Amino acid sequence: MHRLSSAAVFFVALIVPVYGFGADKELGETRYYESCVNCHGQAGKGASSYPKIAGNESSYTIEKLRAYREGIKQGPNSSLMFMFAKPLSDEEIANLAAYLEDAI
Amino acid sequence: MKTLNRKVYTGVTIGALVLGLPLAAQADGHQGMDVPKITPTKVLEGLENPWDMAFLPDGTMFYTEKCKGLSVRTTDGTVNALYGMKDSSGYADSADDLFCEGQAGMLGVVADRNFAENRTIAVYSSSSKYFGDGCETNFGKCDGNIVMTFTVSDDLSSVSDRTDIVTDIQYKPLASDQPFGGPGAHNGGRIRIGPGGYLWVAGGDRHRGICPQDGTLLCGKVLRIDMDGNAHPENNPPEGFDKRIYTYGHRNVQGIDFRPSDGKAFTAEHGPWHNDEITALVNGGNAGWDPAQNTAGRGECPDEYCGYEPNQMDGMDPAVRAAYTPMSDTRFADLMPPSWNNNGFSQGTGSAAFLKGSNWGIYEGRLAVGIMGIGFGDTPAGSRIDMISLTPDGLGINGITRMPLGFSTRFRGLVMGPDNALYVATDDGDIYQVTAESMQ
Repeated sequence: MHRLSSAAVFFVALIVPVYGFGADKELGETRYYESCVNCHGQAGKGASSYPKIAGNESSYTIEKLRAYREGIKQGPNSSLMFMFAKPLSDEEIANLAAYLEDAI
Repeated sequence: MKTLNRKVYTGVTIGALVLGLPLAAQADGHQGMDVPKITPTKVLEGLENPWDMAFLPDGTMFYTEKCKGLSVRTTDGTVNALYGMKDSSGYADSADDLFCEGQAGMLGVVADRNFAENRTIAVYSSSSKYFGDGCETNFGKCDGNIVMTFTVSDDLSSVSDRTDIVTDIQYKPLASDQPFGGPGAHNGGRIRIGPGGYLWVAGGDRHRGICPQDGTLLCGKVLRIDMDGNAHPENNPPEGFDKRIYTYGHRNVQGIDFRPSDGKAFTAEHGPWHNDEITALVNGGNAGWDPAQNTAGRGECPDEYCGYEPNQMDGMDPAVRAAYTPMSDTRFADLMPPSWNNNGFSQGTGSAAFLKGSNWGIYEGRLAVGIMGIGFGDTPAGSRIDMISLTPDGLGINGITRMPLGFSTRFRGLVMGPDNALYVATDDGDIYQVTAESMQ
């Protein structure tokens, strides 16, 4: 039984940082309006040439933001995203992803 | 003492009434200074990147949506979709050559000064019709931005007689190694009718280093033409330049308007992470932008474009960037110095319109400038509309007041309506009517 619990804890520890279970949407919204709204518009619906980023699965957004944070190019505006993603913690990324999943 | 004060107040009140000062002004303590009450009201919402508007004298409003097409809002509020782009639906007519990509798409719109007689409007858009073989790399001519005229039906339900009056404004066809490096960068795109009914077309450098200073290319230029696309006979560009050119050396002009007091043209231009600029145009003048490589002390640059150097992928002091690739390079003898440079910042000056009408009080005659900051590096986002008082010679400013709207967003398109209200398109998909009510 003890062995089973340890395995479960280990599994959850692996999953949580990746998929953001328990992420705080409200904190994500606050962070969004600090750093992202100027390009991506209200609630991540996109503006001008900056794409819509709301409505994606949380795991997708987390993967993208982590890649930007690591400096991996993913499109023509990557250099802008590098700068905005660089200071984000895992927790902030999870919160942002949770907020954006159903922001609209 | 109380009696004395009461007498003084009574005297002031009677005096004010005798002099006819409105009570509201007295209450606000603004005797002698007419600070208007400014009120924004949303007139259209849920649009897709509305970019520009044009008015008829009765309040009919044409407007563009960057990736959809041209529509009109009639005086009773009905909206008619007139001319769509590739893959648009619901329009009375459409054209497959019109497309949007990145910053490019259907942009500026104006009504002919003689609309009542000829029912003509002009529209700026990206088009694949004249690509030819110039668009296979980023270093060809690539004619992908055009200006069209249309005839509008009497019932405002359709347009016809499309005529492409300018077919050779350059377009960026492919991605490049720059920030904002996707296709479709820097098209300018604002068009306005100036003094004498001539059409002014504001362009951008389309991320090509040689564009702004090359007089045979229309990228990075402001054109002054008639409604058939012919050069104004008094344009005075340097020898060997295309005669349609009024000014050159521009980066990305999305704002242009004419000062009511003297008809002088002013542009609002995005800076490259430094120095947004307002510039008083001079016939044949050079705005001083030259992002070409191997010039002005610079070496090679990514994709032959030095516009974001010397460090294009990270934030740095805007003044260092400005020294490397200036917005207004003083080595040019024909430089038109800027009236204003946003304190050295680039926050995205997107559009500009002079405030007309006495209802604007102390702001009448100021240039309203829409700003669309993204907060890159240490630059504050600062999205706002500034009301800039320009000096009579146009070479400086007297002061700036932020328009008190009560909200901040990306202010893309500004134009005055026939009701002396400012109309504002935002990248959020709204068009606002901003009224000013005189307090005198």
